[in-house]
Amino acid sequence: MQNTIKVERAIKNLTQADLADKIGVSRQTINAIETNRYIPSTILALKMARVFGKKVEDIFSLEKGD
Amino acid sequence: MRSKLLLPNRFKWIGILLFIPFLVLGILSRYKEFQIDALTSYNHDNDIFTPVQNFTDELALSGLILSLLMIAFAREKQEDEFIYHNRLESWEWAVLINFLLLIVACWVFYNEAFIDVMMYNLLTPLIIFIVRFHWVMLRNKPSEEKN
Repeated sequence: MQNTIKVERAIKNLTQADLADKIGVSRQTINAIETNRYIPSTILALKMARVFGKKVEDIFSLEKGD
Repeated sequence: MRSKLLLPNRFKWIGILLFIPFLVLGILSRYKEFQIDALTSYNHDNDIFTPVQNFTDELALSGLILSLLMIAFAREKQEDEFIYHNRLESWEWAVLINFLLLIVACWVFYNEAFIDVMMYNLLTPLIIFIVRFHWVMLRNKPSEEKN
């Protein structure tokens, strides 16, 4: 699964720490998701989408093999 | 979040502080035959136990296990689903590596040396878990905080 969290953060001018605080997770979690080491739960994906004011599908997308 | 078995975060540091003296005590009691005299019990009218028994090594081993348990089960400042996932995966690694090492050890070490290995083996699942868990946390630290 791919995501555009890094781009969305840049648009909103948020650091990984800012985003982590906004959705109540650790900084490591945001970093692990951004670097594709961890796939977030639906709840977390929805929370992130809400921060960016977008739909989950705009941020997360399937890759070949998923 | 879901992990109900965790201790408050400060237990990580309490565990680290306790681990060091118990490690020293363990090494001294195993290799230098150091004993705390106050921990000797005399059972002259008992046939089951050896008449003179010193509990220094028992104290050292219990202390080592307890301090490692505190480090392993201390809550992170912000527990969430990724950390929960990291915990489970790290236990998986700990069990797997522990038994693979044990297979190697049983072919490589014999007699007294194997007894030593078995003693370390009592602690290795906890140690491997702690190292693996914290390595993943460190690797995923945001780059803006690494500097």
